[in-house]
Amino acid sequence: MKRSGQAVAERTVSAAEPIPDARGWLERIHALPLTRRVRIMNVCGGHERSISMAGLRGALPSLIELIPGPGCPVCVCPEEDVHAAIQLVFNQDITLVAFGDMLRVPANVPKGEPRSLQEAHAAGGDVRPIASPREAVKIAQQNPDREVVFFAAGFETTTAPVAALLVEGVPPNLSLLLSGRRTWPAVALLLGSEEPCFDALIAPGHVSAVMGPEEWNFVPAEHGMPAAVAGFEPVSLLAALYSVLRQHLAGRSFLDNCYSAVVKRGGNPTARQLLDRAFDTVDANWRGIGTIPASGFALKDELAQVDTLRRFRLDIDERRKRAGQMPPGCDCARVVLGKIYPNQCALYGKACTPRRPVGPCMVSDEGACRIWWSSGIREGRGERAGSHY
Amino acid sequence: MIKDRHITLAHGNGGRYMRELIEGVFVRHLANPALDVLHDAAPLALDHRLVPYITTDAFTVQPLEFPGGDIGSLAVNGTVNDLAVSGAVPHFLTLNAIIEEGLAVDLLDRVVANLAEAAATAGVKIVAGDTKVVPRGQGGGLYLATTGVGLRDTGCALGLDAIRVGDAILVSGPVGDHGIAVMLAREAFELKGAVRSDCASVLPFTAPVARFAGTHFMRDPTRGGLATVAHEIARASGTDVHLYEAQVPVRDAVRSVCEILGYDPYYLACEGRVVAVVTPETADDVLALWRTLPHGAQASRVGTIEAGRGRVVLETAIGGSRFLEELEDDPLPRIC
Repeated sequence: MKRSGQAVAERTVSAAEPIPDARGWLERIHALPLTRRVRIMNVCGGHERSISMAGLRGALPSLIELIPGPGCPVCVCPEEDVHAAIQLVFNQDITLVAFGDMLRVPANVPKGEPRSLQEAHAAGGDVRPIASPREAVKIAQQNPDREVVFFAAGFETTTAPVAALLVEGVPPNLSLLLSGRRTWPAVALLLGSEEPCFDALIAPGHVSAVMGPEEWNFVPAEHGMPAAVAGFEPVSLLAALYSVLRQHLAGRSFLDNCYSAVVKRGGNPTARQLLDRAFDTVDANWRGIGTIPASGFALKDELAQVDTLRRFRLDIDERRKRAGQMPPGCDCARVVLGKIYPNQCALYGKACTPRRPVGPCMVSDEGACRIWWSSGIREGRGERAGSHY
Repeated sequence: MIKDRHITLAHGNGGRYMRELIEGVFVRHLANPALDVLHDAAPLALDHRLVPYITTDAFTVQPLEFPGGDIGSLAVNGTVNDLAVSGAVPHFLTLNAIIEEGLAVDLLDRVVANLAEAAATAGVKIVAGDTKVVPRGQGGGLYLATTGVGLRDTGCALGLDAIRVGDAILVSGPVGDHGIAVMLAREAFELKGAVRSDCASVLPFTAPVARFAGTHFMRDPTRGGLATVAHEIARASGTDVHLYEAQVPVRDAVRSVCEILGYDPYYLACEGRVVAVVTPETADDVLALWRTLPHGAQASRVGTIEAGRGRVVLETAIGGSRFLEELEDDPLPRIC
């Protein structure tokens, strides 16, 4: 993909006007002369969470559809990686640490075998949830006689701190089962398909803060689609929605930055340098989606000694990449791609609930199914998003 | 004070060591005329014109001490508050202490001292007790269990069945302090913060309000928090409970931790707050009274009982709404 070098464009509100609050933006959105349905994809699971928790869908005009996108790292972490982590816990005398959400992600295993790290833990495996990469180092330092494996799944925002650890140097007993992904290639894949399922894009705030908003210039530049970077408060999301709707109505697309307090041109240069020093960009598998070009982080050759797969001479079973995508009947792949809403999956709320999740989107707080369930959506198939209340 | 620095199994053997433990720690802090360690059972002097209420609770909090309280103050206030929100005035407690071998006597002494102070503040007497020592590795340092007896006026009609459509829902202060204080005290997830538990007797809040004719129901939002109390109300009364996001008091520090870890503050435990359901005419009187009390300045009307079918609806600050569902599982911190 050719990266467009164009700078982040003009603001929607001039500096002279007072910046509206959330209700002010809502009033402006309601005053827009919309005549047809506008479908707006939010890339980030954090955005979907804010939208659902603020009850935004119900407060917006009914012509606006907000579509949750691929931005849930837990949901797209390949099944073969989850399976490898579970096998490690079982077959090696190690401590495995992972971000809390990863512990509940189900893998496809024969009946009777532990299907998640949480079940592996219940069966006696040493699995511990962490909230920051530094905790992985601390746990390794506290247990110098024990191999500690850090199952590091995440996007640029969580992979950058992992890069910082690697550059600083990690304890010899710590290794990394890396499943890091870049977000924009997944959106590029969606936009490259014959008929994108959305008309405008809300670009992720934290990812843009790290990598720079310019990564998203290709959306307006190459696809003529309105785009805006948003933060995670309703006020920032509403400003971004207003911006893309204005662009859509005016037929003029650019990348707006509605999170300018945090997102700066060029992103965070230190974090980007760390990512470059620690990782190569490679083609990578996304659960349920398949291989996306230049979408994954892989350890540089000189860091091979911290690679869990090499240290334990593990081979990812290539056959799992086909066999172990989503469980039968699970529509998480189409949810992640924004092709259906969570409650349009036949399993939603029936076979698949947070208590017994079938697919990964019902596991994570960043997963669209889990978020919709948490915000009280119980109606099944066929419901239009937002009509739950 | 006993000479040993750590509890051993010998302190549970019924002999001299156990007598030293009981006299040197428990009796020293808890002595009162009704606590007679020489007899197997204690008589309760109750006013027979009032209705006796009894409740029991066990306490297994980790860590044993946390900013704003410890397992001792919690063991008193937890049980006192269950009686208080029932409209009863607590009078007597029993205390069971299950101690793990190796517990530092200093720590035990601090806990029992705080327990005694909490009991004195709430006006309850410890009238019976027991101690056991379990081998190392078989307990969390210290478990406590308390049973409380209180008395309620015969005219008091508080209860879930008294709740009516149109009633106002009030909370006596910010929610979630205890849950976050204990989580931070565990030093998990490398988070630090200055949140203190709200652990306290709610009797000053409940006793005057229980006498208001317009008070229909009270509960302390402990495990499961405000949302869980709302569900108990909605389920039992068949109404919808509407909560107003902008009106629910949540401290900034609590909100920040919630944002980092993906928690919803409405589900976090309080140990010193009251939720009251009152007639709309009574709401302002209750709030005015609560706001004059220590820790009551942020008392707020947070919701309304509406006709419906047992749902809990959060009306969000921007004018949207969502359902608050029953707590699903232990929340784990989210990934980014």
